[in-house]
Amino acid sequence: MRVLIQLRPSPDLVAAVADPSVSSTASDVADGLPGVVLDRSYAPVAVPRPMPASPGGDPLSLNQPLVFSMAPQDASVVVRGEIADDEVTSRVSLLPATRRDVVAVYADPAIETTLTCAGDPAVGDWRDVERLLRVADLSAEGLDGSGVPLAVIDTGVNAAYLKAARGHDVTIDHERSWSPKSVSGTPGDFPVDHGTMCAFDSLIAAPKASLLDVPVLLSRRQGGSTLDGLLSDAIAAYAHLRDVLDAQPAESRALVVTNSWGSFSPRWDFPAGHPGNYSDNPAHPFNLIVGSLAEAGADILFAAGNCGTQCRDGRCAYPDRPIVGANSHPRALSIGGIDTNGTRVGYSSQGPGRLTARKPDICAYTHFAGSGALGDGEPDSGTSAACPVAAGLVAAVRSRWPSTVLSPAQLRTLLRRTADDRSAVGYDHDYGYGVVDAAGVIAALRRRAAKAA
Amino acid sequence: MAEVLITVRLPAPATLEAAMRRLDLSEDEVDTAYGLVPIDPDKNLYVLRVTEDAGRRVGGHDGGGADDGKAGGPYSDPPIEPYGPPR
Repeated sequence: MRVLIQLRPSPDLVAAVADPSVSSTASDVADGLPGVVLDRSYAPVAVPRPMPASPGGDPLSLNQPLVFSMAPQDASVVVRGEIADDEVTSRVSLLPATRRDVVAVYADPAIETTLTCAGDPAVGDWRDVERLLRVADLSAEGLDGSGVPLAVIDTGVNAAYLKAARGHDVTIDHERSWSPKSVSGTPGDFPVDHGTMCAFDSLIAAPKASLLDVPVLLSRRQGGSTLDGLLSDAIAAYAHLRDVLDAQPAESRALVVTNSWGSFSPRWDFPAGHPGNYSDNPAHPFNLIVGSLAEAGADILFAAGNCGTQCRDGRCAYPDRPIVGANSHPRALSIGGIDTNGTRVGYSSQGPGRLTARKPDICAYTHFAGSGALGDGEPDSGTSAACPVAAGLVAAVRSRWPSTVLSPAQLRTLLRRTADDRSAVGYDHDYGYGVVDAAGVIAALRRRAAKAA
Repeated sequence: MAEVLITVRLPAPATLEAAMRRLDLSEDEVDTAYGLVPIDPDKNLYVLRVTEDAGRRVGGHDGGGADDGKAGGPYSDPPIEPYGPPR
């Protein structure tokens, strides 16, 4: 978290900071603040002290006529820094106690007004995403998704649309696809919608992956909309995927599962703390099966959700900590969204997560002109697009690195460690460990291969 | 919440009928179309979808599923939706 720290150093130092002819640095004023990474590019700023305009006025009240004193004995100095998100509460309370010159610590919120939100036009297109993901370099390494099953748990995939949009054939693995009993239709032949967008975006980095079409969100329930399902359908889908995984020979075992969905509201759940609850409960059957499938060798990715504070989706009904249930699972990657300029989209949900605090894990690209599956001119958007973009990168890696050689846990760590960090203190709840960095992934895999040789 | 989930441990080969017998559940109380779904084959752990009343009656809330003839749960079965496009 970015913070402003107000200090009251010696009057000489305050006078130096206030004097435009003297060059002062943040280190002169605030070096050695425990737990604070000082922004040394930010010159300290002298701040006047508000004082009652009339003798006898209340020295603590701002609701009276005031004068502002820049006298060195009155003024203070502000510097800028960053505190790790999971240390904010303790650091903010301890700083004034451990350093007598610290007056207060304030939030330094981003004041940019240009965060991408719902309804904004696309930022770049899928070719930009292809370039940012270094798809040519991945392909040169043999990392193109060949032979890797990539399950799209969504609203169904339309292969003909994908072929037309991408300009070449796509592989639908009919035999290993799966539908809930209430869903009729053929894998790869479902109406063009959200699932087709996810499939398109997963193929950017893994054009030769084999898509397993799993239209769980087409399952009908009484009173539901046309595009939703029940968590029990996802449990059944995951049980099928376990069979898919177990049937593979160890030397090529791989399964990537992309999930651009979740629960928007606590209304249909038991309350947090109830033993039957889903959102906060690692013992819920779906959270158990996610852990079990990951342990068996699957790479599972979930969208972080579209409940970011700057422009949250209107359906978001959790009052806080909107990354819930399996979207915050410790054995899954939770994917936040950035635009192709590298800036977090305003709707991308921020952590901490409910099952695991450090969510999202990483960010990937969204809000670009891509499949067009959501309508003419509509960008591929939401963390719904970011999740399969990242899943494609994972599938690309799996072309040469089966889960028996590089476990899902090791690959999660590799992706976090190589991510392009967007803060000064490592992990933060906006970007997680940072933005997926395919070049870093390639370099890390090369090092690993050289060590194994 | 019309229906809920319960978990049960059963020796292989497990069947829905065996689970219903073990938990004394009738066909009216169980979503037989959903069936008996394995959660963790290594632990012989399965899930069923049942009415809320049945879930309350047979559920023991042991988290991972019971070995004592009771079921784990009842657990929620909330709706899930696509996360896009943002609205």
